[in-house]
Amino acid sequence: MTGARIICTQSLATLVRERTVLLVIALFSLMVLVSAWLGWSATHTVNTIYSDAAAYLTSVGEPVPPNPVSLGSPLAVLRNVTVYVGLIGTFAAIVIGQRLIEGDRRAGVLPLIGARPLSRASFARGKIAALCLSTTAMMITAATVSALTLAVLPGAHVTGAEWGRLAAFFLLAWGYMTLFGLVALGAAARISTMAGGLLAATVLWLAVTFVLPAITGNVNPTAAINPISGLAVAPDTPLFTQLGFWLGPISLSEHFNYLSAGLMGYRPDALAPRGLVAPLACLVAGFIAAGGFAVVSCLTLDPNAGGPDA
Amino acid sequence: MPDLARFPILTIALRDAREALRDRFVLIATLALAAAALVSVLSGAAALHGDATTYAAARDQLLALGRSASDIAAPELWPLKLLRGTIEQIEIMGAVIALIAGYRAAAAERGRQTLALILTRPVPRWKVLAAKLIGGVGLSAGALAVVFAVSATLLHLLSGVGLTLNDLGRLALVWVMATLYLSCLYTVGFALSLWLRRPAAGLIYAFAFWLLLVLVAPQIGDTMDPDNQVSGGVFAALSIPRVEQDRIKAGFAGYEFFRNGIEVASITKHLERFSFAVLGIKDTYTGRPISEIWAERRGDVLFLFLFTLGLSAIVLLRPIDPDRLTQEI
Repeated sequence: MTGARIICTQSLATLVRERTVLLVIALFSLMVLVSAWLGWSATHTVNTIYSDAAAYLTSVGEPVPPNPVSLGSPLAVLRNVTVYVGLIGTFAAIVIGQRLIEGDRRAGVLPLIGARPLSRASFARGKIAALCLSTTAMMITAATVSALTLAVLPGAHVTGAEWGRLAAFFLLAWGYMTLFGLVALGAAARISTMAGGLLAATVLWLAVTFVLPAITGNVNPTAAINPISGLAVAPDTPLFTQLGFWLGPISLSEHFNYLSAGLMGYRPDALAPRGLVAPLACLVAGFIAAGGFAVVSCLTLDPNAGGPDA
Repeated sequence: MPDLARFPILTIALRDAREALRDRFVLIATLALAAAALVSVLSGAAALHGDATTYAAARDQLLALGRSASDIAAPELWPLKLLRGTIEQIEIMGAVIALIAGYRAAAAERGRQTLALILTRPVPRWKVLAAKLIGGVGLSAGALAVVFAVSATLLHLLSGVGLTLNDLGRLALVWVMATLYLSCLYTVGFALSLWLRRPAAGLIYAFAFWLLLVLVAPQIGDTMDPDNQVSGGVFAALSIPRVEQDRIKAGFAGYEFFRNGIEVASITKHLERFSFAVLGIKDTYTGRPISEIWAERRGDVLFLFLFTLGLSAIVLLRPIDPDRLTQEI
């Protein structure tokens, strides 16, 4: 067994014994289930309203517009998953990333690992692999629940192309979640004080999710909790054009929401991405930067800093 | 310095206040919240300015065509409405800062073993905890006073119409409620970090609590609102007149009751509804006298007060286990 593999196996074994981590992952899985029900319930309600409205419009001789819900893709019923990935999924990834380093540090394992003939590169590979495998397991769970929901929902006829778009969404969601997990892992490796990595990554996530959209597009913070409200067109003023140009590329939550809405089929046609750089390119660049940060932090980690009594 | 044995609450609270003033975290957190609030005020003002410019251009065009300017609606200027983003930042960012402050208050005492030391003195344990909670209230009130003072100054300068005494009174009322809200979140962060074996685990549980209560419960309620399912609103998309909308909505009374029930389970929603009403952010309350709004929304005040009081009572009554106070892995 290679050094990286040993680290990865040990890290995963420790993670599955962590009640805190399991609780956050269970919360995420539960909310994916809830989101499936929410999507069905909300769509059913709009359909009922549409029936009532159509009856009224017919009775007064007005033309009946098409049902706004039926205009979109059947995948749109799962739109709340995008919110839960952006809120609970990323937080779960942050907790996992932080615990992967912090758990070893508090248990006094880091100095022991440092004393073994194991390269820092193997350590970094092992920790990052453990993080990626954990977030993959979470995404597979979420994808399975979502696919089953679509399969059993009455009236949801999903084509092969749409199944492909759903798979692409979960790949995107995995990347977005893992990005923040990598930041937490890197921050925990650099900051030896208790919960320092958790706090640093959480602050970054808060800024990306709730502050940047307000700057680039006047999107209020609570819009982040609604998959539709967050997709707002920025005010057409020179100031917001400039802010979008300069800060748009790092407004990762907006890029994630934009791409998710496109894949799930509920993005308004008039909505343009923030800034001039393609959203996917921004997310990929963010992922690479976060990965680089995690690798460098693991390579320069001081195994003796912190410790059980710090 | 008061005597610990005679005035334990005052002594510990004063020590906490001195520590808070020396702590860079308090300063950075207050500045971060103020910056987030300012960003919201500025972006709201910039958007309003954009609306005003668009309106002026459209009005000039109408006048040039010989038509009346009343054909288009002028954008309304209610300065306090620009605080919507500030309130939302307090709801979300402020809540996180309060949780972290509560965690730090517990973790610092546990890490330095000072809480275990205080408990060896002839001081009732509830008084020690009460002093810590009072410290949290003071911290929340101080940080929010800075945030509201900066926001009010900026509003005064940006709106050009100035804030009246009535406006300042409304701001003061919202400040009191927001202090209550952040104190509640501080208590959650403090309690969980004190009770659990590892303070860091307490912080993670506190964040999970924040996700569920501050974000998920309002999210579920918000998502179940059929008007939020279609961009621009379902009724607007179907061009249904108001009277007919009300008739259709009446058929969903049970659904709406359930949806609202989920929303009001969140303490955040109570702060939001009260603040939006008092500041006139919600259109149905804009320009209405404070007495009317108070009569209508005092349930939100009562909920916030009782929730915080109940939570504090649990913290004060739950015995502290000295064996678990040391910082463990």
